[in-house]
Amino acid sequence: MSDLLAYLSPSWRDEALQRLQSELPPEKMNNVTTSMSNIYKNCPGGDEQFLFVECRDGKVTRVETGSGEPPQAEFRIIGDYETFAKISRAELGSQKALMTGKLKLKGNLARALKLAAVADRLNKVLAKIPTQY
Amino acid sequence: MTRILDPTDKYYIDNPGRVKAIQAEMARRGIDVYLGSRIRTMSFVLDTFCPWRSYVIIPPEGQPAFFTFVVDALRIADETWIDSDHVRAYGPMGGMDQVSAITDFIKEELGIRKGRLGFEDGISTYTAEGNLSHWEYTHFKDALPDFEWINSHDIVDGLSLIKDKGTIERFRTASLIVDEGHKAARAALINGGFKGMTETVIAGIAALAMRKAGSVSEWNFAGLNEISSGFRTGLGACTPPTTKEIGAGEPLMLDFHAMFKLALGDHSHNYLIGPATKRQRWHADNFVAIIQKVIDNYRAGTTPGTLAAIMMDFAESRGCGDFIQPACEHGIGLFGDEWRIGAVVNPDLPYWTDQDHVYQENEMVVCAMQYAAPEENIGFRYENDIVITKDGCEVLSKYPLGIEEIS
Repeated sequence: MSDLLAYLSPSWRDEALQRLQSELPPEKMNNVTTSMSNIYKNCPGGDEQFLFVECRDGKVTRVETGSGEPPQAEFRIIGDYETFAKISRAELGSQKALMTGKLKLKGNLARALKLAAVADRLNKVLAKIPTQY
Repeated sequence: MTRILDPTDKYYIDNPGRVKAIQAEMARRGIDVYLGSRIRTMSFVLDTFCPWRSYVIIPPEGQPAFFTFVVDALRIADETWIDSDHVRAYGPMGGMDQVSAITDFIKEELGIRKGRLGFEDGISTYTAEGNLSHWEYTHFKDALPDFEWINSHDIVDGLSLIKDKGTIERFRTASLIVDEGHKAARAALINGGFKGMTETVIAGIAALAMRKAGSVSEWNFAGLNEISSGFRTGLGACTPPTTKEIGAGEPLMLDFHAMFKLALGDHSHNYLIGPATKRQRWHADNFVAIIQKVIDNYRAGTTPGTLAAIMMDFAESRGCGDFIQPACEHGIGLFGDEWRIGAVVNPDLPYWTDQDHVYQENEMVVCAMQYAAPEENIGFRYENDIVITKDGCEVLSKYPLGIEEIS
């Protein structure tokens, strides 16, 4: 158990940034410049948390986690902590979570669809982090 | 339809002037924001063809914002005079349904959180979907004061889900009629026949062949026979034909529609007009493989969500996940029944396909996939009526699957 990182903790965040930068080269990220904030409702303990990821020219430049107001992002994805946890554990696909309304997207949908595969790649990297939910 | 921005063009319309006139009238009436929803309003303001349910939001000043079904947003952004940042989409995703997307825009982007909102209501003889409008509801209810009004569309939706033998037989015939359109189109295009031919002309050639074979209408609200060539193939899944000429070295998508005794034939077939590049061929081969993969996985007991996941995983394994849209079907029934799959209204995403709907024998869908690489001026579309069977599916158009290079 000691090898597991607490989900959204500072150590998990640092591991996420390191893995995203090493496993997703800019060409794999289609050289996109974008940002998204995942907003976690109904977290254990009751508060609201966020995961913010920023890419510039395909390079993941920032990963931030915390509670309260997230940094301004091109897209906001809002859902229950448990829904995001299921996606991270590969028990639920992110597309399906969106298309069943379990996650709510805020932003320009036409552009979001172009980035769907990129977001999927990002989620797959995060899913491999040994995590304690 | 190409946008006309040159005031000296004989067909020029001063669309920005129209918006300013509406805004002046809004100010005179004390209206803070206008929510237009009628097709005539879209035509008047957007100056482009908006066949899907659309909304225009006119603020007190500045450009209007337009929301349409996500399959058509890129095409409209290419054709309308308003800038692409003001052409938005709604679609089957949490937070992106029509109501959420538009109300968020008004409150958060326009910053208008209260005030007077102008909207459009009334009664007409024009059908479209045909839901009772607020005006109709209000006036019928006033005239029938002792009735409790119960929204009951799910009765017909549920009963029409499984197709009876006669309905399926009509769809088989409608699909074979569409194949006649494709045969005629191919015959007209090959051996250099495509040279100088426009999208509208090839749409008409197919329409004539299908009418001769027994079709009574090209039925589709989104532009009858939909055609796209060249860069337009990458714009998305709604392409009323234009006067653009079909060119060598371009992809070509032909989406033909025939109606036979209210059954809706619908088959899209794609070509590469030679000479095709290796990269075009790679895209084409990917798309054909994805179609085959999805068709091979239809059967009673599976769900739309499962099929979409299979499709996306397969596309990613071939290195083309960036180009495939994350859905592979829409509903179909007799005329007027298109798009939503299943009869359940998911409260989280009302009136969209139920991703967990479990297919049963003798349900029908249109297997529908869109592949788009707009930056490379290429895209493809596949549509075909299918009947779900116990162990698979029956594909009703018999036109051979493939993307042939013709010249």
